[in-house]
Amino acid sequence: METGKKKKSPMQWARSRKGQQILISIAFIAIPLLLLFVFTYLPFGQMVKFSFYKMKYTTPADKRVFVGWKNYLDVFRRDDCFGALKLSLFYVVGAILQLVLALYLATILSFKVKGGNFFKGLMFFPYLISGIAIGFIFKFFYTRGFVFDTILQWCGFQLDNLPYWLKDQKINNWSLVATSVWRYFGQNMVLFIGAIMSVDADLYEAADLDGANKFQQFIHIILPSIKTIVTLNVILSITGSLSAFEQPYVITDGANGTGTYFVIMNEIAHTSQKVGLASAMAVVLLLIIFACTILQKLFFKYIFRDAESEDESYAAKKARLKAEKAQKKAQKGVA
Amino acid sequence: MKLKRAAALMMVSVMAIASAGCGGGDDTKDSSTGSADKAAESSADDAAEDAGDAEGEGEDSNASAASGDLKYADIKLGEDYTDLTATISLFNHRTDLESEDYNGKKWSEYLADFNEMYPNITVELTTDTNYADDALMHLQSGDYETIMMIPAVDKSDLSTYFISYGDLSTMQTQINYATTWEYQGEVYGVPSTATTQGIVYNKKVFEAAGITELPKTPDEFIDALKAIKEKTDATPLYTNYAAGWTMGAWDAYIGNNATGDNTYMNQKLVHTKDPFKDYGDGTHAYAVYKILYDAVANGLTEDDFSTTDWEGCKPAINNGEIGCMVLGSWAYPQMEAAGENSADIGYMPFPITVNGTQYASAGADYSYGINVNASDDEKAAAMVFVKWMTQESGFSYNEDGLPVAAGSTETKLAFDGVTFLEDEPSVAGEEDLLNEMNSESELNINAGGDSKLQNIIECAHDGSKTFDDIMAEWNQAWSDAQEACGVEVTE
Repeated sequence: METGKKKKSPMQWARSRKGQQILISIAFIAIPLLLLFVFTYLPFGQMVKFSFYKMKYTTPADKRVFVGWKNYLDVFRRDDCFGALKLSLFYVVGAILQLVLALYLATILSFKVKGGNFFKGLMFFPYLISGIAIGFIFKFFYTRGFVFDTILQWCGFQLDNLPYWLKDQKINNWSLVATSVWRYFGQNMVLFIGAIMSVDADLYEAADLDGANKFQQFIHIILPSIKTIVTLNVILSITGSLSAFEQPYVITDGANGTGTYFVIMNEIAHTSQKVGLASAMAVVLLLIIFACTILQKLFFKYIFRDAESEDESYAAKKARLKAEKAQKKAQKGVA
Repeated sequence: MKLKRAAALMMVSVMAIASAGCGGGDDTKDSSTGSADKAAESSADDAAEDAGDAEGEGEDSNASAASGDLKYADIKLGEDYTDLTATISLFNHRTDLESEDYNGKKWSEYLADFNEMYPNITVELTTDTNYADDALMHLQSGDYETIMMIPAVDKSDLSTYFISYGDLSTMQTQINYATTWEYQGEVYGVPSTATTQGIVYNKKVFEAAGITELPKTPDEFIDALKAIKEKTDATPLYTNYAAGWTMGAWDAYIGNNATGDNTYMNQKLVHTKDPFKDYGDGTHAYAVYKILYDAVANGLTEDDFSTTDWEGCKPAINNGEIGCMVLGSWAYPQMEAAGENSADIGYMPFPITVNGTQYASAGADYSYGINVNASDDEKAAAMVFVKWMTQESGFSYNEDGLPVAAGSTETKLAFDGVTFLEDEPSVAGEEDLLNEMNSESELNINAGGDSKLQNIIECAHDGSKTFDDIMAEWNQAWSDAQEACGVEVTE
């Protein structure tokens, strides 16, 4: 068969149906791949290269000094780099609260609620405002005797008993986290609503008939059905909290103990012009984010093990296998 | 059903990723490019040609090659180049001069005046609030405006980016502060205006507090602040902590003001062992920063430093709600213009006396640099514009600066009995050493080191560190940097 086939010239191959298919696929893939390479991987490669050099932004290429792993060692040696990562814990806690809140509201709003669309819009709105603008809004919001203090005074608080929201180092990080939650929970909520909408309504009806209450419906129907989007949201939020930047940068300029990893990195890169060290920090953060993402993936795999198979839960599967094994054993014994 | 669900999920996740991508850097500088790009495009061809030899080895040779026979000193305003037609771009930091509400002379008025003398030279102006950083970005991209205010570049790189106005000795007959951007005998920058460093204060508040004579030493100054606190409702000293860059002003006083030695800042500081130690006589950097620490520790500053408002402080000092602020003289006209009481605003020397004399530094503000990659016509037009701004525009007088044009005495500042000093340039071969030391030590003295000053306020407020602890830390950082840079250290 093969020997009898005439060898096609490249031109003929290109005109054949198969050739056309391959060529067109390549043409379609090439453009996005090229864009991805030029604007993502090439700059990233450059940054990794910079992280091994001692250089400023304006240092000409031939005057940059290769320093090996020194920048990476410095990232681990300096207190300010890793100290800043501790601040991320504030934002991680904030992210978890934010997701719980978003999931709760999304569940309520995905059923029939009066003015549901209005509330959805209202809560999604902050996400549409630019981060810089939000920074300015909250700078005034938290200023002594301004908006927030005034509202609390209406509620009966005395100004003297109220803390300084941005000055007190025990509170100021929470103030910033609250800003972040306010901004992003609406977006998470909309994503959750989108996912919950795709759950088959018949399932609720069936569950109702079986006597499941709303909470059981949520745990056993909604949550497993939207596990992909939950995972995605958690990963995005945790990653986002590791790289929190806008709020501390705009509201407090990273001063007064609010300098997150990104803010410190920005200062090292742009004020002190230690581009190599800042690049190394960026690479280290990337690795940390990778590690977090993998851990989260494993965590969710464990959490959603019940939802892996379509028709039986993890426990049921385990019981079935055990039963089968016992049966086999019994049969063996009989034989 | 399943397919539909999968599609919905995919849609949602795509949206999430897309929106996560956008969340990051919505930008502060849309306004900054715009017209500038157009101008840059037109000169792109020449840029490509020139870039080749600009990159070459001999810095001297290409500096003179780039400038050709174009010399600042030879240009006669109103006579030369009057028929030259060119479009040049100017990248500038004075956003306020573009605003319609600016009380002084606006950019549009300057440009209109310039076009009366040179109708065929079009100047396209771009201003940027985040100038210092963005200007470096523009330079780094290689595609930048014809005239830039020279940002913090290393002096050895000057000829890579800008043309020379002429040699130093000739330029010194033309302008003051010619050494500011001098490298190997060539001058690359002409200052837009010159400033001095002191304290902007409200005369009425000082009067109300019973201060008849301006304080001359740190102790007198703290006493004055205490008097203001007791006798008036004004905030004695407003730190402008939150804006950050405004704190950087404090660094400007550790040179001439605190030592009376015009070689200290650029020559001695890098070699000094423990420059932040207590000299015991109310001088040097220690005394400067101690004023800030003491003022905060004694509650002589605003109630909540973390929410200070830069724009808000201007009308506040104008209305007498603020006693004084430590800012360079560039801030003086802004405080005057911020309300109806411009006569109440005064500008006093920094309260440090060295051996019986008060000193003040006079130094160049941002300087004009001309793009080395521009075409010859554009370079000529740019140099004409720079010379016109210096000689004819009255810019430095209007902005309450010290005169830039050599021999001019036009200025509104009057520091009676104060000796003006002009920083000497660094010694040959050490031009970049201070930059290196700043970067290595991360103290960034006079180079955006705001966070270290903010830290003084934080520590003074919550008492987490004593002032001597902070100074010891800085001395340590400085010593480590001296070691890393291989600097010779003198006592």
